[in-house]
Amino acid sequence: MFDALFRALFKYERLVFEQGDFVLGASRSMWLTATIVAALALFAVWTYRQLAAVTGRDRIVLITTRTALFLLALFALLRPTLLLKVAVPQQNFVAILLDDSSSMRVADENGGPRRAFVEDQLGRPDGPLLTALGKRFVPRVFRFSTSAERLQSTADLTFAGTGTRMGDALNRVRDELSGLPVAGVVLVSDGADNAETPMDEAIAGLKAQGMPVFAVGVGKERLTRDVEVTRVETPRRTLKGTSLVLDVVVTQTGYRGTKLPLIVEEGGRIISQQDLTLAGDGEAQTVKVRFKAGDVGPRVFRFRVPVQGAEEVTQNNQRDVLIDVYNRREKILYLEGEPRPEPKFVRQATDLDDNLQVVLLQRTAQATVSAPDKFLRLGVDNGEELVNGFPMTREELFQYRSIILGSVEAAAFTPEQQRMLEDFVDVRGGSLLALGGAFSFAEGGWGGTPLSDALPVVIERGTMKPTYPPIELIVRPTRAGQGHAATQITDKDDEAAAKWRELPPLSSVNSLRELKPGATVLLSGLDEKGREQIVLAYQRYGKGKTLVLQPQDTWIWRMHAKMDVEDKTHHMFWQRLARWLTDGVPDRVMVSATPDHVQKGEPITLTAEVVDPEYRGVNDGRISAHITAPSGKVETVVMDWTVEHDGEYRGRFTPTEDGVHKVAVDGAAKDGKDVGRGTANVRVAPSDAEYFDAAMRAPLLRRIAEETEGRFFKAAETASLVDAITYSGKGITVVDERELWDMPIMLAMFLALMGGEWMYRRSRGLA
Amino acid sequence: MRRLKFGLIVAVLLVVVAGAVPFAQRGGYSNMSYSGNVRYDGRFTFVRMSYPWGRGRGAPWAHDYPRGEEHFLKIFSELTNVQAHLTESSVMTFSDPELFKFPIAYMAEPGYWYLSTEQEVKNLRSYLLKGGFLIFDDFRGGGEWANLDLQMSRAFPEGRWIDIDANHPIFHSFFEINSLDIIPQAYDAGRPIFRGLFVDNDPNKRMMAIAGFNSDMSEFWEWSDTGYAPIEANNEAYKLGINLFMYGITH
Repeated sequence: MFDALFRALFKYERLVFEQGDFVLGASRSMWLTATIVAALALFAVWTYRQLAAVTGRDRIVLITTRTALFLLALFALLRPTLLLKVAVPQQNFVAILLDDSSSMRVADENGGPRRAFVEDQLGRPDGPLLTALGKRFVPRVFRFSTSAERLQSTADLTFAGTGTRMGDALNRVRDELSGLPVAGVVLVSDGADNAETPMDEAIAGLKAQGMPVFAVGVGKERLTRDVEVTRVETPRRTLKGTSLVLDVVVTQTGYRGTKLPLIVEEGGRIISQQDLTLAGDGEAQTVKVRFKAGDVGPRVFRFRVPVQGAEEVTQNNQRDVLIDVYNRREKILYLEGEPRPEPKFVRQATDLDDNLQVVLLQRTAQATVSAPDKFLRLGVDNGEELVNGFPMTREELFQYRSIILGSVEAAAFTPEQQRMLEDFVDVRGGSLLALGGAFSFAEGGWGGTPLSDALPVVIERGTMKPTYPPIELIVRPTRAGQGHAATQITDKDDEAAAKWRELPPLSSVNSLRELKPGATVLLSGLDEKGREQIVLAYQRYGKGKTLVLQPQDTWIWRMHAKMDVEDKTHHMFWQRLARWLTDGVPDRVMVSATPDHVQKGEPITLTAEVVDPEYRGVNDGRISAHITAPSGKVETVVMDWTVEHDGEYRGRFTPTEDGVHKVAVDGAAKDGKDVGRGTANVRVAPSDAEYFDAAMRAPLLRRIAEETEGRFFKAAETASLVDAITYSGKGITVVDERELWDMPIMLAMFLALMGGEWMYRRSRGLA
Repeated sequence: MRRLKFGLIVAVLLVVVAGAVPFAQRGGYSNMSYSGNVRYDGRFTFVRMSYPWGRGRGAPWAHDYPRGEEHFLKIFSELTNVQAHLTESSVMTFSDPELFKFPIAYMAEPGYWYLSTEQEVKNLRSYLLKGGFLIFDDFRGGGEWANLDLQMSRAFPEGRWIDIDANHPIFHSFFEINSLDIIPQAYDAGRPIFRGLFVDNDPNKRMMAIAGFNSDMSEFWEWSDTGYAPIEANNEAYKLGINLFMYGITH
């Protein structure tokens, strides 16, 4: 309606005005005429100013209308013209890219599936849009999903593709039509691109070759009725027996307020279930799901919500994730500077966990003139371990995955040992937990040391005296702590609040006040004056993380008279905290796969980071990846040093069968020394990515179109598509002049001004 | 006259009360936890366990009190870097909930010990199972051992005392005590016998209590500043005491 009215008034479609260059095409004689008209206009103005009978507002109105009339005439006399580059008929190619992926089966395009538009308009030889394009251009039709190729017949369109690699498809078309006159690329898709690679490269290539993309978006920009498991945030690896607390993001439209279960399954067996009430339309809702990682090995967990009635997409109600459950004893070094009971109770808790080994080095006497520090060693692997006290070399220290630093003063360490502590976190990627005590933090003179830079709290310089009597702290989890894996003291979420209320207060002799930017408080404590104090906080630092736990006596949670002897809170607290400490700490060979989930026939890039015992990158090594397929077939891939980063190696392989592929990377350094071994798993399975975020993604399509100087159309609004390509100015074109002086709106304005002036004069008695 | 009489009564009462305080501190009849106990602040506190005693003279649980712990604490803090209350200690009963804030406790003369309430029985069991450590010292003779065994069996019916020798880590937790023969005897005949009560009666698991039967190390602590015993003997008694307490703190 609007377009018709526009055309009736302005003679041409809007597109012509958008694409054309405006010029004034008057000849010399016409310029002379125009000058006379301008002089007449000035004369008219002067005349009105001289007339005594016309004053005030009347003079202004009459001068304005008369001047406007002369200007309108002047504009027409100057011969306004639009210059258009019009594609020469049948001299240019048009690439038509049809999305053949399975998301095109979603039924949200005018009540039918998205594929219907493609099939009706372009998928058959007599399709209206294809016919219209064929009248002006030479069409080249391609189909694409995970790959792109010329469409030989309509039967090739299956709409079963398990992925959408739009960038690859555009590159393919660009390469195939390179050197030919191309007026444009018609991209018909729902925009549900799920390629790992960014679109930038494809867009830049098209721009460079002057190929505008005319994107036709199929489907609705927002689904009407759908529940989707949008994202599951899981670690790639986890220690056997770890109680996982995972964030599952659920999004929905049309089912607000509906209550349903979020179910976690493994091999068809339900292992966890969490009830949720769906939030507002389009709102990403995060649900905390708890379950224990079971048997060792690569485990595929399914997170699903039941299909609701009338959902437009049902395949996105579940997501499968692969988690590698590994089994070993994570070694933690606990250095305690004084004989106090905290380490004893920590070890009592962690000794109950087969996957934790807390090695205790407890100083029982301080050095004198004639004797060094005296240590008690517990939990060591052999008589040599830590026999000389705290490690003096990085190699010795970096064999541990985490460090717990008890009540020990900074002066107990040499400057080099203090740097090693920082490097343990920063370079090695380990975790360090500093506990409260008489010799901890500022009370232990830690202010200004390398470690104080790493800790999540500000440590004041100078040695402060510990506070006696100590401050009692009633400990509670913060909002971040409530859902954090490190601070789960019960197996069930709804029991945690009551359990925290039951716990007796702890005490602190330290003064931790200020949190560093970027640090997170997981537990806070209320002191006797009602002030909030930091109890447990952490931050990322370099490759690792640091934590502080301010109280000096978490063992009170075990020993206190009101705690039942069967109560496991203290045990659970320390087991989970210690497990979280070691979580994500890198080994000497770390392997990752990009992507970690592919389909058969899709290449995978393996990246290995290889370091020496001091965690410096090993360059120029002979590194190989051994990939074991589910059938048992082993493929070895040589991995090359990338040169970009120390110790980084890459290799590629393409799986040929479905199932979990086990990747093991090993090799030797340049000097022949064994570098160790790292493992990863890759899941090869048909992808369901097509059904996630399945609404038509207009922003992406619009971006591709605009950045390549094309246009974006919705499927129902493609009437001007052919003209848009015709006037795109690309390919072989001729210049077409479109005169504007005879636009109906010019006459309409002329008559309106004349009539308006006459009516005004009549009403004012000036006629 | 009335005023004089009242004054005399008050004066007599004051004398009696003033005399009772040190008497109580030497043992007395009470088995109450004292109000003058050290308030918990995270530092090591010597906790002596008391129990009912109604036969006159000094209560057995108070033998060597307070000089024994005073001297021990000085040596303990001098030789180790334990952060301890040096000039004060506590006396507690098993019915006192505050006991649970002090995971190491000492009892003298367990041969005369009596758990007077079921709450004490329950608390003793709970204290040791949670992680507390109890040191029994200064007792001898079959009857006294039988009493200790009886009282402990009320809290641990399944419990079994296991003899330990010098190889046990408790004798190496600070000093290296490679032979129990070096442990001095104040007046007991024969050699001391050390027995442990372990979690699940498994000597490879945590020791919850140790009984130094036929031995009296705190006797040496008490008189170590008098020349009553040879310096070497006092030294060995301190070494044993430090090892027992260090083990209790760290294991």
